[in-house]
Amino acid sequence: MIDKATITIDGQKIQARYGQTILQAAREHGIHIPVLCDHPALPPEGACRICLVEIERQRTLQPACTFPVSEGLVIHTHSPKVIEARKFSLELLISDHPLDCMTCEATGNCLLQDLAYEYGVTGDRYQGEKHHYPIDTSNPFIVVDRNKCILCRRCVRACAYINGVEAISVFYRGFNAYIGFGADSTMQDSPCEFCGSCVEVCPTGALWPKMAIGKGRPYQLKSVQTVCTYCGVGCQIELQVRNNRIVNVTGVENAPVNQGFTCVKGRFGNDFVHHEDRLLKPRLRKYLLEGGKREGKGRGEWVEVDWDTALDIVARKLLETRDKFGSDSVGLLTSAKCTNEENYLMNKLARQIIGTNNIDHCARLCHSSTVAGLAISFGSGAMSNSIEDVTQQAKAFFVIGSNTTEQHPVIGMKIRQAVKQRDAILIVADPRQIPLVDFATLHLQHKPGTDIALLNGLMHIILKNGWEDKAFIEERTEGFEEFKAVVEQYPPERVSEITGVPQELLLEAAQLMGQNKPMAVIWAMGITQHTTGVYNVFSLANLQMLLGNMGIPGGGVNPLRGQNNVQGACDMGGLPNVYPAYQPVTSEEAAHKFAQAWGAPMSTKIGMTVTEMIPAAKEGKIKALYIMAEDPMMSDPDTNHVRECLEACEFVVLQDIFYTETAPYADVLLPGVSFAEKTGTFTNTERRIQLVRQALQPLGEAQPDWQILCEVANRLLATSSSTSGRTIDLQAPYARWDYRHPKDIMDEINALAPSYAGVRYERLERGETFQWPVKDEHHPGTPILHVGKFARGLGKFAAVDHIPPAELPDTEYPMVLSTGRVLYHWHGGELSRRAQGLLEIYPKPLVEINPEDAQRLGLNGHRRVRVTSRRGSIEAEAWITDRVLPGMVYANFHFPEASANVLTHAALDPIAKIPEYKVCAVKVEAVE
Amino acid sequence: MSETLEEQTFDLIPLLAILEEYKNQKGAIIPILQRTQEIYGYLPKPVLKEISKRLRIPISRIQGVATFYAQFHLKRRGRHLIRVCDGTACHVKGAMKTVDVIHEQLQTPPNGSSPDYKYSLEIVYCLGSCGLAPVVVVDDKVYGQTEPDKLVRQLKRLE
Ligand code: SF4
Ligand code: SF4
Ligand code: SF4
Ligand code: FES
Ligand code: FES
Repeated sequence: MIDKATITIDGQKIQARYGQTILQAAREHGIHIPVLCDHPALPPEGACRICLVEIERQRTLQPACTFPVSEGLVIHTHSPKVIEARKFSLELLISDHPLDCMTCEATGNCLLQDLAYEYGVTGDRYQGEKHHYPIDTSNPFIVVDRNKCILCRRCVRACAYINGVEAISVFYRGFNAYIGFGADSTMQDSPCEFCGSCVEVCPTGALWPKMAIGKGRPYQLKSVQTVCTYCGVGCQIELQVRNNRIVNVTGVENAPVNQGFTCVKGRFGNDFVHHEDRLLKPRLRKYLLEGGKREGKGRGEWVEVDWDTALDIVARKLLETRDKFGSDSVGLLTSAKCTNEENYLMNKLARQIIGTNNIDHCARLCHSSTVAGLAISFGSGAMSNSIEDVTQQAKAFFVIGSNTTEQHPVIGMKIRQAVKQRDAILIVADPRQIPLVDFATLHLQHKPGTDIALLNGLMHIILKNGWEDKAFIEERTEGFEEFKAVVEQYPPERVSEITGVPQELLLEAAQLMGQNKPMAVIWAMGITQHTTGVYNVFSLANLQMLLGNMGIPGGGVNPLRGQNNVQGACDMGGLPNVYPAYQPVTSEEAAHKFAQAWGAPMSTKIGMTVTEMIPAAKEGKIKALYIMAEDPMMSDPDTNHVRECLEACEFVVLQDIFYTETAPYADVLLPGVSFAEKTGTFTNTERRIQLVRQALQPLGEAQPDWQILCEVANRLLATSSSTSGRTIDLQAPYARWDYRHPKDIMDEINALAPSYAGVRYERLERGETFQWPVKDEHHPGTPILHVGKFARGLGKFAAVDHIPPAELPDTEYPMVLSTGRVLYHWHGGELSRRAQGLLEIYPKPLVEINPEDAQRLGLNGHRRVRVTSRRGSIEAEAWITDRVLPGMVYANFHFPEASANVLTHAALDPIAKIPEYKVCAVKVEAVE
Repeated sequence: MSETLEEQTFDLIPLLAILEEYKNQKGAIIPILQRTQEIYGYLPKPVLKEISKRLRIPISRIQGVATFYAQFHLKRRGRHLIRVCDGTACHVKGAMKTVDVIHEQLQTPPNGSSPDYKYSLEIVYCLGSCGLAPVVVVDDKVYGQTEPDKLVRQLKRLE
């Protein structure tokens, strides 16, 4: 087959590919053909006729954006005929367009304006009838001005082909046609998710970000490319800055993950950076200045101080605690929001200077069971595949315990696209009717806490029918027989009984899985946050080995990591059992390596997890806590207990950007900075390391977290050597803390963390992006893990049985509570509640409850409910919805006034020590 | 995000029968809307939303189709549809006079319905019977060379 066609454009011969349009071929060769309705990320539309070209031997002019190339075409892009035709189209468009470019937001950023300029079209040739549409300002994010719309349908296509919800369409026709939302409602009342993809592609000022209005012209703004700070998807965004303020955010077009598009948080949720709650000066409790002691529970008054005072006191207290009570009396919480460099430093501070492995962070609370489980099954705890291969090549998706479209929205969008555009199969297993179910082939609505039974049941059917990959099992795995013996105990009748999923659905699901390979498994907190979290993960690993879906594109185990840099925080040794790059602290060899590098003796004792450290504070085993950008009062289970523990802790340093819910329990507050005010790297869920670039000068006196850590460490080192405590040999190669730039920290990481060996700033700055392991400076990174061989050699089947959740409903607490998040908020809400638009659109906590239960409880319409567990009670508004099963309620932990974590309990998975956020017993009452 | 509640409720049972019939047919929006309009007389918003929900077709796509074709009606219509031609020939012969008289005497505004939903009035452009101008079509019956008062008397006699 010939797949090349030689065509001539404006006298230049070029090689085009069959299947391309003239426009695509021209673009590839840098030949400019003007367009309006065409956009490279969207399918062609052929609506505006601006791209008309003259093709020899064609009677009429043809649109380059839809005309396919073929051998021998001779094309003229700027012949007089063409120019006349373009002018005519532009005249017509402008005849129904307001000519208010002087005040239009889009000036300087409007394709119509550019073309009018290029073709000398002034708009006085035709005086057509003009529309006068009201402007839709219903929602907090996007202003819709239909008077400026040229009906190019880019927005319609973006919503359909990028987002997938299809909130926009063209209503009516001819002169009456306009862009409409939903059932011809406002944008606010339509199914729109405010991802802003339509804004990104709109060529005029018809769709405009509200927050940018009146904030400056494009040429007055500085743009800086960086990485979104919300979730682990790792979208690249461009911050537009004026006078040290972020005034607008757009997507980065050639970003490997998001190709220019984002979700609502990444685009419209960054004003938290400038929120008035920002801490701009260090603060201390007064008693510390007076050299006194803290009395009782309270900590007394705050005083603002200068950095030296604050840092001196922090160093002195940490040192005192270490030398008096031993290294293990200090606990450090590092941060999945901070950069790799900062996490590395926190790990170094703990292990080198304090001498403890008591370091952990909120990964404990989200994916510690994934990391532990996959490490045992395969030898590496990370997502095995890439977003790209999974979303483009999986024939089937099995999404279990992941509300992808709300929690990892850009991946959710890509799954929707796979279903819509290439008929990929989507099986969703979730106790809730999550939004993704609307796109699913099958929904298995199993009872919370029955994942193992469900998975064993599916694998039972797969084995019964011989759909397993025998060769893969034979060559690449071990432990199959024991596993099989257990799975045999899970026939459909029994599984249906335990899970509540009808037998036919189980059969259908197993068949789809058995017959559609590769299948990618995707999960998140619905799998991990159980007392059986690690076992759940084993079961998923079993499933993928059974089907032979490991080590191939479109398959794999794909845990979606929560925070922007939770992967990196784990990689950098922000865990109590490993050094950077997962070198075990119990290994003599690793201890020796780091002792040599850092010039200090290393502890080989595994440290405490966050879920152990906090209670240990109450028991008096932890005397001092250093918390960097974490908010245990919001994120940890059983808030009331956390409060008591923090109250009891003798000395708490909190380094954060806001006065968070945890701040009242701190003795010192050190103002760190947001992602926009510093440089560093984040590692996303697919192990991709990306550069975070500083866009703003730190606000107030706040300082980048890495600098604060250096200040603390250097003070400790200076005093250390003079007291009896630990001795640190500053001549050791990496003992010192004299980094001038985050790049210097990365140099040290390159040397000590083998999977980051080739992660060089020079490469990142050149625009290279790669996924670890990156073995050396020339290594391209590793998009797919376990190809041909598992990291641990053979994959290990684990035989696991169904174990019921730790707390089941009973007569007193008859309902099951499950917890999680919503699209418009993030984690404990520290950032998203301070982003104006996000708060406006989802302003208060809602408790989801099934209509059946609502009726039984006598709730109708919007009513307040009180939800009570053995540990506490919250009041919130009920959202009566069949998203949840009868007998179940669902609450989020974004709002302190009714945080689900008041109710949750700290029952832990025995291996990963992750709390069971997803199941606890509650009772629900109507509040009068 | 939120949905506005529509006051009126509709009997959805006949709709469900139609949807069942077209369940496995992709791209059947037009016939579904036609059948739906036969049942309800027009396409009420809550019914469109129900179709969207049950067939998992985005509401905006359905709305787009429903507004594109002139055959679909998004507003409730009267039992009798009066179409007054205002094409060139009819216009010249005073079509708008007929419209005014109908509006006044039958309380039926152009592109609207009488309060009791007995009549709906539409203005159309050339019905192809210019020889008979001014032309009015009531339901399927053509009235040529109409005189407004006589027409109104005839309309009042309808059920
Ligand atoms: S913001 Fe996103 S979801 Fe909303 S209309 Fe635009 S593209 Fe569609
Ligand atoms: S709103 Fe913008 S993108 Fe959408 S049709 Fe109008 S001009 Fe095009
Ligand atoms: S999907 Fe995640 S990383 Fe991407 S824009 Fe949204 S919150 Fe940011
Ligand atoms: S760009 Fe080709 S028709 Fe619009
Ligand atoms: S103008 Fe009325 S029928 Fe032609």
